[in-house]
Amino acid sequence: MSEKTFVGKNIPKLDAREKATGQSIYAADLQLPGMLYGKIVRCWDHAHAKVLNLDLSEAVKVPGVVKVLGPKDVTQKNYNTGVLDLMVPEELGQLLGDIEDQRIFTDHVRHQGDAICGIIAESEEIAEIAAGKVKVLYEPLPVYLSAEESARPDAFQFDERKPGNRAFQLPEQMFPGNAYGWGDVDVEMAKADLIVEETFYLPKVKQCQMEPHAYVAHYDQTGRLNCWTSTQMPKCVQPKLARLFELPLSRVNLVSTTIGGGFGARLGMVFEPETCAMALAVPGRPVKVQSAREEDWVASESRHPGKYWMKLGVMKDGTPVAMDAHFTSNAGAYFTHSSGVPFTTGSWLTGMYKFGAIRYKGDTFYTNQAPSGAFRGYGNPQTNFALEQIVDQACNQLNIDPVDWRKKWHKGVGDDGWCIGVPYSSCALDECLERGAEAIGWKEKRARYANQSGTLRRGVGVGVMTHTSGAMPMLLEHTTCTVKMNEDASVVITLSCSDLGQGSHTVLKQIAADTLGMPMDEIHILVNMDAAGFDIGSHASRTTYVGGGAVIKACEDVKRQLIERAAIRLGISEEELEIEDRQVFARHDRDKRLSVKEICHTGVYNFTNPETGETNGVPGQIKGYASHFPGHNSPPFGACFAEIEVDIETGVVNVLELVIAHDIGRAINPMAVEGQLQGGAHQALGMILTEETCYDKKGLCRNNSFTDYKMLGPVDMPKLTTILVEQPDPIAPLGMKSVGEAGPVNPVGATANAISHALGIMFTEAPITPERILQALSEQKVA
Amino acid sequence: MKTKMITLCVNGRDHRFEAPVNRTLLQALRDDLRLTETKYGCGTGECGGCTVLMDGKDSICSCLTLAVEAEGRHITTVGGMTRDGELHPIQIAFIEEGAIQCGYCTPGMIMKTASILANNPNPSEEEIRKGLDGNVCRCTGYEKIVQAVQRASRMLDTSQIQKSGGMGQ
Repeated sequence: MSEKTFVGKNIPKLDAREKATGQSIYAADLQLPGMLYGKIVRCWDHAHAKVLNLDLSEAVKVPGVVKVLGPKDVTQKNYNTGVLDLMVPEELGQLLGDIEDQRIFTDHVRHQGDAICGIIAESEEIAEIAAGKVKVLYEPLPVYLSAEESARPDAFQFDERKPGNRAFQLPEQMFPGNAYGWGDVDVEMAKADLIVEETFYLPKVKQCQMEPHAYVAHYDQTGRLNCWTSTQMPKCVQPKLARLFELPLSRVNLVSTTIGGGFGARLGMVFEPETCAMALAVPGRPVKVQSAREEDWVASESRHPGKYWMKLGVMKDGTPVAMDAHFTSNAGAYFTHSSGVPFTTGSWLTGMYKFGAIRYKGDTFYTNQAPSGAFRGYGNPQTNFALEQIVDQACNQLNIDPVDWRKKWHKGVGDDGWCIGVPYSSCALDECLERGAEAIGWKEKRARYANQSGTLRRGVGVGVMTHTSGAMPMLLEHTTCTVKMNEDASVVITLSCSDLGQGSHTVLKQIAADTLGMPMDEIHILVNMDAAGFDIGSHASRTTYVGGGAVIKACEDVKRQLIERAAIRLGISEEELEIEDRQVFARHDRDKRLSVKEICHTGVYNFTNPETGETNGVPGQIKGYASHFPGHNSPPFGACFAEIEVDIETGVVNVLELVIAHDIGRAINPMAVEGQLQGGAHQALGMILTEETCYDKKGLCRNNSFTDYKMLGPVDMPKLTTILVEQPDPIAPLGMKSVGEAGPVNPVGATANAISHALGIMFTEAPITPERILQALSEQKVA
Repeated sequence: MKTKMITLCVNGRDHRFEAPVNRTLLQALRDDLRLTETKYGCGTGECGGCTVLMDGKDSICSCLTLAVEAEGRHITTVGGMTRDGELHPIQIAFIEEGAIQCGYCTPGMIMKTASILANNPNPSEEEIRKGLDGNVCRCTGYEKIVQAVQRASRMLDTSQIQKSGGMGQ
């Protein structure tokens, strides 16, 4: 590889130095002149209640309080924090049943942490004191914590548009029988030699991004609403806020601050509506809202928990003739992503194996838990927990090696992808399985751990996955990018996709540098929402794949213009010209050349000779542009192998090693890819071993803190071995495929299968805690 | 709330200001001194995002320490690790190993690393992992952070740490 290229190299993140010195500005670090402090007053004592009386009189009297806003002091419009309504045509949105059911401040508390009113004060301390003086009289209402409870006919109806409290099911008009899949499952299932049927339970896990949600909003003297936010999707939050507050887009300005982790927690709006409502109440003065960790926990979205029923029919030789599945999830108190996750959960299922027939049903029900929403993987970790375990159960009963079975039955090139009708363009899963199996010592350990006695039992397990590279074809998929050539031929690239910390801006710059044939340090990436065009945001593992595609197109547009101008200046046809080393030259006569700098410079400093009328170059500053709709999607695959040790006296699982082999197509920045896989593994292991948001009978969260909600620490994390399998995808720009959302997916299945291998027991409920292990051992009397 | 004149020595510089006696060191750093490099993650000592160094060796959670308790002590934040624009080897190691993603835990992680290495210049991997426990990172799975600490340990001139009696200013 040439010294002058950047793609494929371990380039440290562009902002790493700023972050290592503490210079990066997160929203909470902002300090603006005349800034006020907003406090969202939340209901902490009830998960479901009517506000009978809200007495703000004492709060208003606290010296330093500027304004107190109740439910009637802000817009009466409803909204939905999620953005799926923007991502599909309106008719489809109606078919999917997307609704707006959230209010800025409510008089009907639907979950602990619902916002009641807002205080605006001269300092955070004063706002806190005033919040303590708000008196609320509640009428408690019955609390529903599971789909089973809220689906009961006598249950309170959360929304009249959603009978039976079913927020969503796959709509009959699009999915006959409310099911996604193919073939006749009942007929095929009847043919099966072996049927494995299980019900799995998935926990409510939290993104736990390290930066608690914080914002500044300012309704300025020009009548613009400015909002500093660490959102993952500025260009989708902007129209949401514009609609909510009835302002044109040109008067809603989003300023992206450094993002202290996202993982889906900042997908769509979070507390932007409350913050902006406060700013609109005090025109001319910025308002900062910082949430406390415990508040962030109860009032922002999580992964969908739920019950996953699955039935797999196989022939004696392992042929998977039929799959029947139903994921009933818990939407929580508001609609949010109800039409998204229950669908994609099934897509990941249909996309994985060559089932003879498959029928997936997905629905979700309102409850009084905090709303569920987007979390890295968007339904895929849930599917992985159920699917990978049920496959292993079938393999065990048929005495088939689980790796061999997966190699034989996974989908690949030409098969329908996770979206039926869109085939996979590449698949390196076989190589992932082979290299991963070798790295963990699969055959040898699988045999060695088959019959163990003693206190410490070891096991190895495998889990595979596929995911997406972008939102196409289900949702809108669009990134706009502008590449401006300065007069000295340095470059400013303007776009609006967010870098959550994964390093996407670094990667985009690497791609731009190679496309333009320029050094990275002469390229600047500008993220300015007024200047930048549209982008659907950083989610769906799309920023490198789609953003990178947009950058390439816009850079190619620059190159086309450079060649066009050089052709005029040199009097040579465009086809004869090419660009290398920042020179445009004739292929067959390399002495005929013009530097890129010369073209850019004379485009800006363009003079006309008054006598001859000649100019010193082609006038006009060069700007490349792409409004990129990729029209393709190159899903990645991956194989994870886990080795674990269980202490059967304590039930404690010690994960010894994870080998994660990922089908990346082409790694633009291998170090960043590894970081995604390693960080994703941390989230997957948490979900499988320790993490669950728990509620008491009143619906109050029992563990909204890092002490009570256990994430794995550095001591608990196993050795992480990553293998990047690079088989370029034929239709992808640069052959690349995604990684971000894939991270937390298949370590889930691999670890669950490893535990099952060690103990000979399948655990259907996650997290697989020591209590659950000891309980299962005592029931099965393993000794 | 009763207020008090407080003198804090942060990154080698004395700051004198009046603050309520219940002011935490984290609030004092961020709100009174406008040194926002130290982060709020939980406010209850559970995430380590607010870790600073006390007297060059001990790492503390600034959210659990009152500003008045820090009087007369030398406090180092990540802003004090850089000298004359030169990055500290720990900062270089974090950057080059890819140990920084969202960066929100980074100031605390770097100060915790400074404390680990000030007390034990050549820690084993196990000692590093134990030392970092209490500082939460949700991005990296800790793998590259552990590698960064190992690299920093190799880069640092251990005799220098011992001679100066600690890290930072």
